[in-house]
Amino acid sequence: MSVLLTGEQRKPFSGSQTAHWLLVAGLPLMVVAVGIAALGIGRYSVSPEQVYRILLATVLPIEPTWSETDARVVILSRGPRVLLSMLVGGGLALSGAVLQGVFRNPLVGPQILGVSSGAAFGGALAILFGLGWVFLVSGAMVCGILALVIVYAMSQVDGRAPILMLVLAGVVTSAFFTALVSVLTYVADPYSRLPAIVFWLMGSLATATYPKVVPAALPVLIGGGLILLLRWRLNILSLGEEEAAALGVRVQPLRWLLLVAVAAIVAGAVAVSGVVGWVGLVVPHLARMWVGPDHRVLLPVTLLLGAAYLTIIDTLARSLTPAEIPLGILTALVGAPVFFVLLRRTRGRGWVDA
Amino acid sequence: MLELTDIGFAYSAHNWLFRHVSLCLNASEIVAILGPNGRGKSTLLRCAAGLLSPQEGTVRQATSIGYVPQSNQVAFAYSAFEMVLMGRARQIGLFAAPRQRDRDSARQSLERVGLAHLAERPFFHLSGGEQQLVLIARALASESTVLILDEPAAALDLHNQKRVLRLLRALASQGLSILLTTHHPQHAQFLADRVLLMYGPDDCRIGSADVLLTEANLSALYGVRLCAITFEEGGTMRQTLAPVYADD
Amino acid sequence: MMFRRLSCVLTLLTLLAACGGQPAADETAAPITAQATAITVTDQRGTTLTLDQPAERIVTIPIPAAALMMAVDGSAERLVGIHPSSAQAIEGGILGEIFPEARTIPRDVVSEGFAPNVESILALDPDVVVQWGNRGSDLIEPLENVGLNVVGLHYGTQEDLETWIALFGNMIGKPERTTRIIDWQHNSLAEIQMQAEMIADERPTILYFNRLREEMRVAGSDTYNDFYIQLVGGVNPAAEVTDFVTVNAEQVLAWNPDIILIGNFDEATPDDVYQNPLWQDMRAVVNQRVYKVPLGGYRWDPPNQESPLLWRWLAVLAFPEVYTFDLRADIRENYQLLYDYTPTDAQIDQILHIDLNREAAAYERFINR
Repeated sequence: MSVLLTGEQRKPFSGSQTAHWLLVAGLPLMVVAVGIAALGIGRYSVSPEQVYRILLATVLPIEPTWSETDARVVILSRGPRVLLSMLVGGGLALSGAVLQGVFRNPLVGPQILGVSSGAAFGGALAILFGLGWVFLVSGAMVCGILALVIVYAMSQVDGRAPILMLVLAGVVTSAFFTALVSVLTYVADPYSRLPAIVFWLMGSLATATYPKVVPAALPVLIGGGLILLLRWRLNILSLGEEEAAALGVRVQPLRWLLLVAVAAIVAGAVAVSGVVGWVGLVVPHLARMWVGPDHRVLLPVTLLLGAAYLTIIDTLARSLTPAEIPLGILTALVGAPVFFVLLRRTRGRGWVDA
Repeated sequence: MLELTDIGFAYSAHNWLFRHVSLCLNASEIVAILGPNGRGKSTLLRCAAGLLSPQEGTVRQATSIGYVPQSNQVAFAYSAFEMVLMGRARQIGLFAAPRQRDRDSARQSLERVGLAHLAERPFFHLSGGEQQLVLIARALASESTVLILDEPAAALDLHNQKRVLRLLRALASQGLSILLTTHHPQHAQFLADRVLLMYGPDDCRIGSADVLLTEANLSALYGVRLCAITFEEGGTMRQTLAPVYADD
Repeated sequence: MMFRRLSCVLTLLTLLAACGGQPAADETAAPITAQATAITVTDQRGTTLTLDQPAERIVTIPIPAAALMMAVDGSAERLVGIHPSSAQAIEGGILGEIFPEARTIPRDVVSEGFAPNVESILALDPDVVVQWGNRGSDLIEPLENVGLNVVGLHYGTQEDLETWIALFGNMIGKPERTTRIIDWQHNSLAEIQMQAEMIADERPTILYFNRLREEMRVAGSDTYNDFYIQLVGGVNPAAEVTDFVTVNAEQVLAWNPDIILIGNFDEATPDDVYQNPLWQDMRAVVNQRVYKVPLGGYRWDPPNQESPLLWRWLAVLAFPEVYTFDLRADIRENYQLLYDYTPTDAQIDQILHIDLNREAAAYERFINR
């Protein structure tokens, strides 16, 4: 029996379907509220009222009661950052949920499959050679997908991917790319390249700008859109290859479609924010505990929850102390204990499947 | 409804598991496949269901197959209803979601197997028998007219065995064709119109259940002595075959 | 039995006597020459080394150490191996022009960071290896294990800097030069401190960026940068954090410094500050008080042999009305002291990054008329 058989915790509002749906429908509103709140928080203080007026001014003509600097802080500095944290958080969470479904294992996240390490390597390589933006993003993407291909190929046994093989393949691939990244840091010029690589690897949205939003938005929106269209099919896929095939689903093409979408999203996320872990693993669990395993509801909820989650954490990262706390560190500090609690609640039942 | 013509399956060159098996399954008919472990019952079944490709011969299906697997370890806590709904995969487009008529169909299927009251219960919480019934309901939801079941009632207690068997008989009388494998000759006796006995790779006999299910045939098949026991029930004489485990 | 044991003991004793005998013989012969040239060096770890004679082949691993050694020695002759970043600073700065031979000093003395490449260092046959003393034993142990003399340095304060100068001077047997250089440091320090105390004006906030382009890294308290900001009479707004930290643009905006200093550890320029749309209303930007720190014999931002020049540079920029140093004359005079070299006007312009800082407030004081 697998870990996620948390029937006891599932759907606490099963008594009231209406309340359940109200909350789920209110989730997008909550995310927007988090975003707006995040725009009002930072090391440079702008009063909430001014923030509100500044935002309103983007759509309505209003007399400015704020300084140019205030507006720039909200729109130019915090704006892209909040947007990116939503895209990255939502994308990573969604990817985690999809991977957990495809590989029928609730302990899977983008990290485990080596996609993050692969993308990290691709990006670090671009930094090493001093190449610009486009190369960083494409490098991250190509290597992220390459990692996935390697994992998939390595884990095939008689036409299917047993969970154990999958995890092993992921660990190996992840270790491989991590080692390659170490090679890069070793040969990098310690004067200029190395600090840049190290900083990027720790994960940060500190250098968020509007142009950066595009390479993150494209894969997240397109890949995410594709995934959401397939969300009911993912239920069937999660039954296992033979059963899904028996039900008339073409397993291989569907699986590949989902995995490529995931790889694109994860690679895009890593490309703009560096390596941010514990989002793709923890958020789907929280969402599943709240709304159950049916991916029709789970996936959109995970997406939104992930967006809000990372936005909150990034807001903390940039305003808790004068120093910027690297995002990857904060998500681990928050995520690991949360995950531990989740495991305890499911009483750590074994997760090896048939 | 389902036609197997001269199919043979081999794991490697000339290492035939079974060969020259032909079978034609009609509406309202139940065929049971019997044989010891390892003779290829499940493989034959999977070939019939289209999950495996035989090395020789052809499989023709008039409609889609409703395949009911043996045991089910689910990774997630889907409800019984959600499980049955998944049977509608063939009716729902690639990028589409279930609609009202899919939900109705799922609910009806659950009613048909008598489990409508358990719709919202998590699947893994159900008893073995109930799970089997849900999986049958799922096959029904896919609007298949052929059900293929891999050892239904295998890990079930007697009460649940009876539930499943009676449902299958009822479904057959409603027009479905049913092909199943079983380890229990009594199940074949109760259900099957015809049986297929897999003695060996080149020795498969198919025929009427009444004719083939004899002490001699089955003892030879299993290598264990079976004894026919006759008893009276409701004014009729019935027969059941029981294995004898005592020392020879 | 007893005989065997006795003979063993006797053999052992003889062996010991034989081993212990040699130094005794040398010791009796040594005193005449030893007192003349033998040098005792105690490094900042407290470890004492004895050198038979002033060190002539020196490997330096800490990045500022190479330039400092050249200053204390007045030449690059003794350096047989330096850190690649030191080499970079030499090539990029004026030291490469003053001591052209410094450009060809082997630089593969480290394998990664400050970890020593023992084989390469051994091949250079050094008398002494200068290394960081308080950054972990795996920086020093590999060297001492193969029998090399290691002088360990601690980083950070003005006291440390003066100790390094003294150490180096001791190592190479040039006590008079050392004294002069340290005196210059002391006198400059005292001079500025005295003037700083009398400042009645408001004290400007001065923010130092160790890195600006790919990451914004500023100096908090407990850094050498913090030390000299306060020395000249300024205030470090980043003092609420300790050591070097990464911050974001908003935090800088919140601090709103009066003066911004850009270090020499990345290629950032004042334009990177002026063109940041978020910082348009910051005081340093509005008043054009953004400066790229000069790069002379070494980067002026960390502690180095030319630090007193940095203090004067910053003092003038912070309080143009108060400090009246003639920096260009000071540079000429002190390069004479350190390197026995008079830089040309063009070279001084290069040191002071005149091209980058020309338009900045008060910089006309440093421009040649």
